[in-house]
Amino acid sequence: MADLTLDHVVIAVKDLDGATADYVNILGRNPSWRGEHPKYGTKNTLFRIDNTYVELLALSGAKGDKRWSGVLQKTLEEKGEGVFALAIGTTDIKRAVEEFRDGGLDVADPADGHGVDVNTGAERGWRNAQVDPKHTNGLRIFFIQHLAPPEALPVAEPVTDGAHVRRMDHAVVLSADMEAARRVWSDKIGARLALDRTFPDRNTRILFYRLADITIEISGGAAQSKEGIGKPDRPWGLAWGVESIEKTCERLQAAGVETSGPRPGIKPGTLVATIKGEATHGVATLLIEHQPESFTEAARVAHSGAIDNTEQQRAFTPTALDHVSVTTSDLPGTAAKWATALGLSAVETSEHDDSRIAKIPAHNSYIALTQPLSSGGAIAAAMAERGQGMHAVAIAVDNIDEAVRDMRLKGVEISDPVAGREPGTRVASIAKASANGVPVVLVQRS
Amino acid sequence: MITKVHHVGVVVRAIDEALPFWRDTLGLKLHKLELIEEQGVKAALLSVGDSEVELLEPVVSDNGVARYLERKGEGLHHICFQSDDVERDLADMKAKGTEMIDQVTRVGIAGRICFLHPNAMDGALIELCQPLDDYAVQHPAGAPEAV
Repeated sequence: MADLTLDHVVIAVKDLDGATADYVNILGRNPSWRGEHPKYGTKNTLFRIDNTYVELLALSGAKGDKRWSGVLQKTLEEKGEGVFALAIGTTDIKRAVEEFRDGGLDVADPADGHGVDVNTGAERGWRNAQVDPKHTNGLRIFFIQHLAPPEALPVAEPVTDGAHVRRMDHAVVLSADMEAARRVWSDKIGARLALDRTFPDRNTRILFYRLADITIEISGGAAQSKEGIGKPDRPWGLAWGVESIEKTCERLQAAGVETSGPRPGIKPGTLVATIKGEATHGVATLLIEHQPESFTEAARVAHSGAIDNTEQQRAFTPTALDHVSVTTSDLPGTAAKWATALGLSAVETSEHDDSRIAKIPAHNSYIALTQPLSSGGAIAAAMAERGQGMHAVAIAVDNIDEAVRDMRLKGVEISDPVAGREPGTRVASIAKASANGVPVVLVQRS
Repeated sequence: MITKVHHVGVVVRAIDEALPFWRDTLGLKLHKLELIEEQGVKAALLSVGDSEVELLEPVVSDNGVARYLERKGEGLHHICFQSDDVERDLADMKAKGTEMIDQVTRVGIAGRICFLHPNAMDGALIELCQPLDDYAVQHPAGAPEAV
């Protein structure tokens, strides 16, 4: 779905005053709002930062709607403090709910909400729609549309000059069932998948979903374990964008908050530091400073050793290993060896301009055993250069015209598509200099 | 018995420099990237239909892949067929007098494998493989002794 934002993140805390003081230190900002929800039996502190807001949520002790205070109490008792919910913002909740339901996500009807700032008496209204966590692989997510203008929730004033948290960079969710998480975010929520990358050497796979300028990072193992299937995802941590990580760490140290770092981040061009200790109230917390080079193209490509699983948008799809060409100077003799040693027999032999080819089927592909008939052709030249044996690879594609166009745009030297030697085929040849010395032929079968 | 073409092997100087063509331009999906230290190679496996292209980069200077690169440069190196019983196929080939590089099977990237000698097939380098989970069903006690 388009236009979704990470409206805010809710952190469950036991002692609201203590947590508020800690987050004033971490964020370097005074609260925007101190609220009570008599109806829900909860109270909160809000900090609006540049691109979202963070809500510290605690039980108020007042009797309220058990749906809220009951869930919060159970979470605090069973899991302790930490990220409690992700609130996804929309500008039209009625339409959004309809679209989510069409996409297979079971969302409750939108309900009105209302908050009062206990210090100023200011009021704000919103409508939110809850999702049962069993539909989102265990994550607590709700959708929200604010009825009050943005300025109704004032920006949290920085307490220091330049060393405060500017923005939320990303929120991290741990998943033991990455494909389930992917279905939730790609199919049910319809968030934009920006990256799906596997790091075999770190045994990690990450999915990046973008909600406006904030990334939801889903992190799990490189390979799916059987035990993990069906296990709930859990919110794990938050990464805060700062202007100067050095100044921020100095400020935190002076406030008695322990940090490790700064150190270079995994993404080139970033500096990161981890906030340690109890001050984060169960939220794994990272500070991140983007240096200008982290926005360059080079920083966006996969790091060495990483596997990028993100589906590329392309106009054609390679569908099969069509055949493999093997050269020989003695077609009947070599074909006999293939039949004897491997049990793979030629079914037909055909003659072409400068070669004779025996087709040896191998179930999902075939071997084109090829003997040059003159000393002048491409086959003879390849044999003169490399000896007889392994020669070329043919890849089947679903749209050879698009493939040729696409490849030329990417600087590959490739011939125009022409009729192939087999009836109903069109082929185009990629220069071996473009393909690590391998003559690659694209084939489209009609 | 051979059941399919499991992969074709391509020797490259640097996998990082080869992926822009095979993965990003040709569009083959990279599903495995690993360093196999005992064989001295780095390998990238890319899917194409129900077969694969295997890119091989030598990380030492004294193995077959490194020598191939030194002698012939980058290029198409071998073809690997999947077998439903690699031990039986190897025994059959040896009985027929087929010249082998591997007299006994060993564990490779594609599972339990053996290579034929290129002389046996007039220059084409052929590998047979059987995925390890399939192999383990037939040989629960591990590989048979060489005969």
